[in-house]
Amino acid sequence: MITYPRWLDRGTGKEPVLRLLGIGNAGVNIADRIAIRASLPLETVALNSDQQSLNASVASRKTALGPMTTHGLGAGGDPEMALEAARESMSELRQSVEGADVVFLCAGLGGGTGSATTPQLAELARANGSLVIAVVTTPFQFEGRRRSQQAQEAMQGIARHADAIVHFENDRMAEITAPRTEAEETFAACDNILFQSVASLTRLISCPGPMAVAVPDLLGVLRSGGGAFLFGSGEADGGNRAHEALEQALRSPLLDRGRLLHDAKKVLVHLSGPRSLTFAEVAAIMQQISKNTAPSSLLHLGVSVARDDSAPLIVTLIGHCGTAAQVEAAAPIPAAEPVRATPPTLFAEEAIQSTPPPSTHAEPKTAAPKVKQENLPLEPIARGRFEKVEPTIVEGEDLDVPTFLRRKLKK
Amino acid sequence: MAREKIHVGLEIGTTKVCAVVAECHRDGEMRILGVGESPSRGVRKGEIVDFKNATQCVHDALADAEDRSDHEIKGVWLAISGSHIKSFNNRSSVTLPEESTITAKEIESVEFKAKEAGIPKEDVIIHSVIQRYYVDGQEGVIDPHGMMGTKLDADFHIIHGVTNRIQNAIRCVREFDIDVEDIVVNSVASAQVVLDEQQKQAGAVLIDIGGGVTDYIVYKDGAVCHSGVIAIGGDHITNDLCIGLRIPIARAEKLKIEEGSAITENISASDRITLKNDTGFSGRDIDRLMLNMIIKSRLEELFGILRKRIQEIVPEHLLGAGILLTGGCSLLRGIREAAESVFPGTPVYLAHAQSVSGPMSAFENPQLSTCIGAAKYAQAVHAEMPDESILDRVKGFFRGRF
Repeated sequence: MITYPRWLDRGTGKEPVLRLLGIGNAGVNIADRIAIRASLPLETVALNSDQQSLNASVASRKTALGPMTTHGLGAGGDPEMALEAARESMSELRQSVEGADVVFLCAGLGGGTGSATTPQLAELARANGSLVIAVVTTPFQFEGRRRSQQAQEAMQGIARHADAIVHFENDRMAEITAPRTEAEETFAACDNILFQSVASLTRLISCPGPMAVAVPDLLGVLRSGGGAFLFGSGEADGGNRAHEALEQALRSPLLDRGRLLHDAKKVLVHLSGPRSLTFAEVAAIMQQISKNTAPSSLLHLGVSVARDDSAPLIVTLIGHCGTAAQVEAAAPIPAAEPVRATPPTLFAEEAIQSTPPPSTHAEPKTAAPKVKQENLPLEPIARGRFEKVEPTIVEGEDLDVPTFLRRKLKK
Repeated sequence: MAREKIHVGLEIGTTKVCAVVAECHRDGEMRILGVGESPSRGVRKGEIVDFKNATQCVHDALADAEDRSDHEIKGVWLAISGSHIKSFNNRSSVTLPEESTITAKEIESVEFKAKEAGIPKEDVIIHSVIQRYYVDGQEGVIDPHGMMGTKLDADFHIIHGVTNRIQNAIRCVREFDIDVEDIVVNSVASAQVVLDEQQKQAGAVLIDIGGGVTDYIVYKDGAVCHSGVIAIGGDHITNDLCIGLRIPIARAEKLKIEEGSAITENISASDRITLKNDTGFSGRDIDRLMLNMIIKSRLEELFGILRKRIQEIVPEHLLGAGILLTGGCSLLRGIREAAESVFPGTPVYLAHAQSVSGPMSAFENPQLSTCIGAAKYAQAVHAEMPDESILDRVKGFFRGRF
């Protein structure tokens, strides 16, 4: 039986300690990204057996694993060696999870360090009474069977101890960008999605809103099956914001344009917006979402309102789909637990604006990724009869606007 | 199969819908029997935005073509355009068992592999054009059929577009129980009739500037090496004039056709054009220099974009046959000079459909290049392989999906 840590009671007034552990090369990458990009209330710890990657990392704490075993050269994708390294550094591992209320474990599975150490950390953190959420990626198919097998084993190990696993398949992530885009861009987009999901989960847990989603709800959604993790988020401003934000969220490649929502048994919807957010908008969004989900699926709704009147409306969808009823060994969540309610904001930005009302957590405004259309800034210029048609944009220029106007040839 | 087959090419353009009925002889000759036209409504930038109106226009054009050619149209070859159409080059290879001969099976599988290249989910491949084969690394193989080898590589030029948008155009025709036998991309269609084999070998760029879009295709060593669509066309010039000179769209269009030119040299500042007053429009004097300047800057920009794209693939000095302009907008005065100023040193020609017979007014009209090309493409496809059609693949794609 899990008992949730005290901090989940809002009464104590103590701020929860959220810690993000980046394990292995991929994990350290994610940790770095989060440390740089978001001023989230997150402590970042980089753990790796490769000294070089640690040196380059900007995480606030760094822990070298198995310096004697690997001589700081990394485990080289060998799980045996990584396991040996983890054993050697057991006390460091314990230290790294100590005192955290929520532990995020970020790792790319299929290699050495990440695959071997993450399950152990999950176990240690769980023993400490922390809430453990693992955010992991599994290798591309083209990386071979061996790697995916290693990843599979590691997943099982993690599942035994973690409260929830947010699982991204690299293969699916690659679909995020158009197939013809540069490799670098694709990797960056993958990283970005990982970042967004961690950032949103963080805010979701640390910043409650007026109509909050309880942690058990969140965990229930994250855990409800072994299949794919669904995640989508969109934000919009202006008159048609409800529709636009939702459209964007549904367009997320991780939702397969909303199609995958049909298969999800539980879906968490979080809306955050300025004070001007009307009930009609909330109702419209929920109605639209329920059209996209199966009639039998359970919807959890969370709403938070930002103090800032210029905040955009943000819609976040989290769900889990798939039939592989991988009922994890992790103990079921006691339904009775009066867990502190937290609005689930999956989106980086979303969380930010939405969160201001909550307690002490002055969520600093993060430079969140803007998902705006690129033609917006050009709007004021005349497009004449092409006003309502899809704009012709080449290299960032709206070619529907007369050339002579753009070049200021006019006398 | 009848000795003389009749093919119908149909283009749903931004300014007009036209259908060409052509009689195709087995020896490759083609004779135009009739051309049907209808001003287009409900089409913007080469794509349908108002289904009902567009359908009506297609109907009018087909009915007109039937009248003029005295032929009942049962199926058409549809030319497709729009900015969603993209292309790329892809190489694929297959390995053969020990020293065996290359058969149709291997050639098919190498093409299949090339098409596996990632295109966005919502897209479908419209054309996969063979550029060249390599057998065991030997370059320049034109037909590997029957050759010995252990490895067959092939370069393909793949053109793809958004399935739903293509489907919309097809549905427009199907409304009247007329079959769409196959689809062809505008630029590929135009190239069938405007370019001859020599020009393709020497290297040529065909630029088809229509009302809403500009389609272009680049040939080098006899094979397509680049193609694309830019959603800029004659409509943009009209719109520029409408905004720049503050005159109604209809007047702008008329002014463009009657007086417009892309040449700004030797125009005195006092040269003015008087627009007569019309219902709802009081007469005005227009500065000719201004008029031509607006047109010129638009065209120069368009050619500038094209040049940039083309140069990435083929250096200009390899374009032996130069640049050929066709499409309705190529009738604009001074367009050749505008193109020449952007592509210095490369010859620029105004072109229309070649190697077809029939009424001169039909094939000499550059507005009809694409449409005639679609019929010619039909002839070419039938000559090669009468069975397989791209549309079957589109259909198959849909079946697999729903």
